Amino acid sequence: MRHTLKYTFSFCLLFSMFLVQAQETPATTTKEIVQEKPKLKSKTEPAKAAKPAIQETKTDSIPKTDRYGLRVGVDLYKLTRGFYDKDYKGVEFVGDFRLTKKYYLAAELGFEDKTTDDDRLNSTATGTYIKGGFDYNTYQNWLDMENLITIGLRGGFSSFSQQINTYKIYNPNPYFGEQPAIVSGEKYNGLTAGWLEVALGIKAKVFNNVFVGFGVQLKLLVMNNKPSGFDNLYIPGFNRTYDGNFGVGFNYTVSYFIPLYKKKVIVPETVKEIPKKK
Amino acid sequence: MKKIVAFLLLFTFGLSSCEKDDICDPNTPTTPRLVISFYDNADATLPRKVVNLKVVGKDDKGNDLPTGIVFNESSTTDTKYYANGTSISIPLKTNQDSTTYSFIYNAASTDPTLTNTDVIKFDYTHKDVYVSRACGFKTVFTLNPFVTAPPSQPFTLNPGTDGAWMRVINVEQYNIESENETHIKIYF
Repeated sequence: MRHTLKYTFSFCLLFSMFLVQAQETPATTTKEIVQEKPKLKSKTEPAKAAKPAIQETKTDSIPKTDRYGLRVGVDLYKLTRGFYDKDYKGVEFVGDFRLTKKYYLAAELGFEDKTTDDDRLNSTATGTYIKGGFDYNTYQNWLDMENLITIGLRGGFSSFSQQINTYKIYNPNPYFGEQPAIVSGEKYNGLTAGWLEVALGIKAKVFNNVFVGFGVQLKLLVMNNKPSGFDNLYIPGFNRTYDGNFGVGFNYTVSYFIPLYKKKVIVPETVKEIPKKK
Repeated sequence: MKKIVAFLLLFTFGLSSCEKDDICDPNTPTTPRLVISFYDNADATLPRKVVNLKVVGKDDKGNDLPTGIVFNESSTTDTKYYANGTSISIPLKTNQDSTTYSFIYNAASTDPTLTNTDVIKFDYTHKDVYVSRACGFKTVFTLNPFVTAPPSQPFTLNPGTDGAWMRVINVEQYNIESENETHIKIYF
């Protein structure tokens, strides 16, 4: 358990390094935006209703089309973990739908069966979960690039069961000797838990419509229906529980983008005007 | 964005320190011991100190264990087995419904006529209760009630050939769930 934890954290750290590196490219693009903004104001403010101003900007920018559609995929981390970790079986399907230029409606649906082996307890949690929310793409794409560096919010809900396999009695005074682990088999059904999470992710188009992505999630448990006489040690979708309400998650996804329709985008100005019209 | 990354890093480090919940805090109330307090038989309100009381448990076959319960952790000689206070705490078997102890009064004496051994068998039911991820479960006990039919009692005193040094044994608390209270009072 400790080893897997260490790996999880080193993954997180590694991932955060990626984030730091990846940041440098958008940082330059945001600068460009900053430079553009005063232009934008100076141009639009004196003649807000004047159409020629927009036409002017149209001429000095390259028109491009944004593709809108549904992206569906699977978490390879969960899927492959079942091959090398005999205590784990799981699958997670991910999907997102592009709502506007920056916002994506996102959802994850999954199943997990995890046996947690602690020093004094061995328990199995089995159940399904659903997470829904949105992603905001902070990455400024050039031309027809469709990469994403997203920050998003999710609400998660899990319905699961837990079974105590074996347990040990904690006896600080083992005068009669340490008692071996007791086989229990006690099962608690109908457990539920709900949580909020902040999801950070990267998705890159590798070829055609295939995307590869990494993501980390920081979770906050808001509803935890514990069984009487036991605790929720592992919640499918939320992962291991800690003393507080916090949790972490990680995924590595491969997804396929199904284009549904296209929108012509000319410059950031027009994009800013679209929500006004709406 | 940089702030978020900084927060993420902080959060990750913060969580790695949360690994502590893998280790059971010794202050957590876990399996309780049976707390016995000694009182003066002449004046029931007066706590009385025992003299070099050695308590030796019996194994499942009824044989005395090779060592007594350690009452003085600091001592390195045989005196670590001798209790000289007004109260002792003794563990009960967590996997059985009875535990038998020999209470040897004045055990340090070389003169066998001055020592006195009383054997008490405690009868109880036990239940395993969840504590936490790190500590696992604890066992709590309930001493059997005094009932005539079917015959049941919380303890059986066997005074042995040298007679009983205990005059009266009183059960104060049948539910043994914490060590902060006296479960049994012994008057002598």
